Amino acid sequence: MDNIQESVVASREVPAESETIEADVNGQVIKKNGKFLNETPMLDELENGPWPSFVTGLKEMAERNKKPMLRGVMDQLEYSYQTKSGYWKGGLVTVKGYGAGIITRYSMIKDKVPEALEFHTFRVQPAPGFHYNTKMLRGLCDIWEKHGSGLIALHGQSGDIMLQGITAEKAQECFDELNEAGWDLGGAGAGIRTSMSCVGPARCEQACYDTLQVHKKVLDAFVGAIHRPERNYKLKFKFSGCSNDCVNAIMRSDIAVIGTWKDDIQVDKEEVKAWIEKKGMDNLVNNVITRCPTNAISLEDGEMVIDNRNCVRCMHCINVMPKALSPGKERGVSVLMGGKNTLKVGTMLGSMIIPFYKVDTDEEIENFIELAEEIVEWWDDNGLDHERIGETIERCGMKQFLEDVGLEANIDMISAPRDNPYYKTEY
Amino acid sequence: MTVEVMERSYEVDENGYLVNLDDWSEDVANELAQDEEIEMTDEHWDIVNFLKDYYQEFQIAPAVKVLTKEIAKKNDIKRKEASAYLYNLFPNGPALQACKIAGLPKPTGCV
Amino acid sequence: MTYERTWQTIESGPHEYKEALHPVVLKNYGKWKYHEMLNPGVMVHVGESGDELFTVRAGTPRQDSVDLLRRLCDLADKYADGYLRFTVRNNVEFMTPHKENIEPLIKDLEEQGFPVGGIGPLVTSIAHTQGWLHCDIPATDASGVAKSVMDSLYNDFKEWKMPNKVRLSTSCCSINCGGQADIAIVIKHTRPPRINHDILSTVCELPKAVARCPVAAIRPTTVNDKKSLMVDEEKCIVCGACFGACPAMEINHPEYSKFAVWVGGKNSNARSKPSKMSLVADEVPNNPPRWEEVNDIVGRILKAYQVGGKPWERMNEWIGRIGWKRFFEETELEFKIDMIDSYRHARASFNQSAHVRF
Repeated sequence: MDNIQESVVASREVPAESETIEADVNGQVIKKNGKFLNETPMLDELENGPWPSFVTGLKEMAERNKKPMLRGVMDQLEYSYQTKSGYWKGGLVTVKGYGAGIITRYSMIKDKVPEALEFHTFRVQPAPGFHYNTKMLRGLCDIWEKHGSGLIALHGQSGDIMLQGITAEKAQECFDELNEAGWDLGGAGAGIRTSMSCVGPARCEQACYDTLQVHKKVLDAFVGAIHRPERNYKLKFKFSGCSNDCVNAIMRSDIAVIGTWKDDIQVDKEEVKAWIEKKGMDNLVNNVITRCPTNAISLEDGEMVIDNRNCVRCMHCINVMPKALSPGKERGVSVLMGGKNTLKVGTMLGSMIIPFYKVDTDEEIENFIELAEEIVEWWDDNGLDHERIGETIERCGMKQFLEDVGLEANIDMISAPRDNPYYKTEY
Repeated sequence: MTVEVMERSYEVDENGYLVNLDDWSEDVANELAQDEEIEMTDEHWDIVNFLKDYYQEFQIAPAVKVLTKEIAKKNDIKRKEASAYLYNLFPNGPALQACKIAGLPKPTGCV
Repeated sequence: MTYERTWQTIESGPHEYKEALHPVVLKNYGKWKYHEMLNPGVMVHVGESGDELFTVRAGTPRQDSVDLLRRLCDLADKYADGYLRFTVRNNVEFMTPHKENIEPLIKDLEEQGFPVGGIGPLVTSIAHTQGWLHCDIPATDASGVAKSVMDSLYNDFKEWKMPNKVRLSTSCCSINCGGQADIAIVIKHTRPPRINHDILSTVCELPKAVARCPVAAIRPTTVNDKKSLMVDEEKCIVCGACFGACPAMEINHPEYSKFAVWVGGKNSNARSKPSKMSLVADEVPNNPPRWEEVNDIVGRILKAYQVGGKPWERMNEWIGRIGWKRFFEETELEFKIDMIDSYRHARASFNQSAHVRF
């Protein structure tokens, strides 16, 4: 730390535990005010206001289960709030056969907060679509509280259940029990990562494919590559049932699998009439027809007509009139690749690699998995260290990528043909 | 924290990695391996030596990808098999155990 | 040693999902006909079979405890036959075919402090990162910022007041793990990293840190006879990428890690194509525990969008219609020279036309 930071650190102190400790009862330190936790005045400010407070939740649990690690973590967090600095450093804790899945944290201020020396996190893969039954979730909570702190984040930004706060010593035993109960670790480091899928056909009429099934099968196929990170860098799949893209696949995944359809939007004429009667013709014009990005909807003799050839499957009209309109019947997925956030060339959106692919039958899903394996292998051979696949494709050229993995060039892959003449044809 | 080898102690961090990379010797490596419950065989030494040589040449640990490729090539096996082989030798992962035993710096970062 | 795996783990991947689905969900799986939003906290899905499934959505702190999750389980057992799910923005959803359960469930949720809402044209929960509680490279505590901002937007979560849905995110460094959003609150470092030469050579692999820099500003050097690195501060763009590879490149600082606010990120393909967010405020103090300055800016942007946006326009579409110039006028934010892109592909963001709003 530099001088300025050092001086800030020096000028503030964590609550002096020695002053408040009264007795050590059954191995549990109880303080004069009867509380297990030390005072955390800054964090307490976050107990105010109507939104549910994580601080209240944490304190409540710590006062009940009296885990010293939680007290240390609260002290360290309070200290972070006071000094505006973070105090965790990484390391490596794993379980047998796995090179990833546990995010390791050691306190950098262990002299001040010895109870927070270790605070490692398990990344655990939830069921696709974040669906739970209470038996699963209660079981998870029980195993976790037995071995760890009891702190859980639902969910991490890659889609993991984050079980936060365990020591290295207890990691294997805790994992074995979780594994026995049907849970497995998620990804970390330079490997395939945990995935996310939308609610899917479980509850959504707009899901154009079975996001839950495809999520499960694809991730199962890559399970070894999730646990043993041996790629250039991270690679994420995400599965959205339609182009509303509720799991933000296009922006947040290297391989975005997004539901779509090929034939015409299904129209229930009676329901269209009922909608107009209820909401009015102005509403239809202002909120449906003029909002169509390709002007593919028009009024003919007072009736709504869709030019399906010009429809880009954006979902807007279906979103506004879900009872009257629905996706077509010939359904499949579009696959977009290369989405990623800032680090380090800047944000990239996924770009269209496969305009239409069917993933209904086992065989079709198997074909998709084979293609994905081929793509990952291409990236293994061509990518550089710490390079996301979108960056590799951009560096090597989309043309090269398509040729290497055996995909046919398609006009749907581009927004416009090239605007420069610098290329070489066969001569 | 320290490890003791032949009545000399060497400083390691809370994660068991050597603090001073110059402290490394075969004896220290054997001690670090014991802490990881690994009995060093020639096969283990092959990996550890590969890591050491690579680090000496490039000042970085090789990506695991490089390691599995190398093993696959050498033994004429698939990369998946090379990965299993590597984890059979170092059950808690080459980055954790092989790098630690080879006296390389601790790998960093989760993003 | 063998080439077959010898460890005993069942590498089971994602948890099985069928057991996590309500019987009515299983019966109507893939056979839903339409849905209706009944109010900001409740929607109904109707199957081809005629079955109705009601969903009640509520906000959670995301940073949960086993106690909190057991309470949610109690509610799911009592009102939703033992099933629940979560959305990508940390909301909990209870699905039940029993219409009569909706009102008492909502009452119980609200009594236990879980706000019911988050469906439709409103501000839903913030997608956010980890922060001081757990991250190794954070410059702030995203959970605290999210809590403070949602306290201010509590009613905006529960009422249909916005032109379309508003998605927020918060991130503790410029890597932006919180993601693109209509409004994103992201740390922006304002000074090149200070280098801890004492520990650098033992905690980092030097070439890796050198390679991590997007503008080749890091060079090897020797300090006090120890191998170390130096940063060309002229070149450095204070991205913090090196810090992730090398903890001795200390980019975080209580005074030199500020907040920036970005708007117009959109993931959905509805109407307009997905869009990346743009910088509209920087040098915002990183001010725990309540981050009032951040709150103020988010509030101003939302108010302008609420007043000016037309139905179904997302943030980026509203700004696309009125133009950035008017966006800055309406929000009373200041446009600064640093908001002109100077990174890769910057020219794509220049006005290459004679179109100007005077």
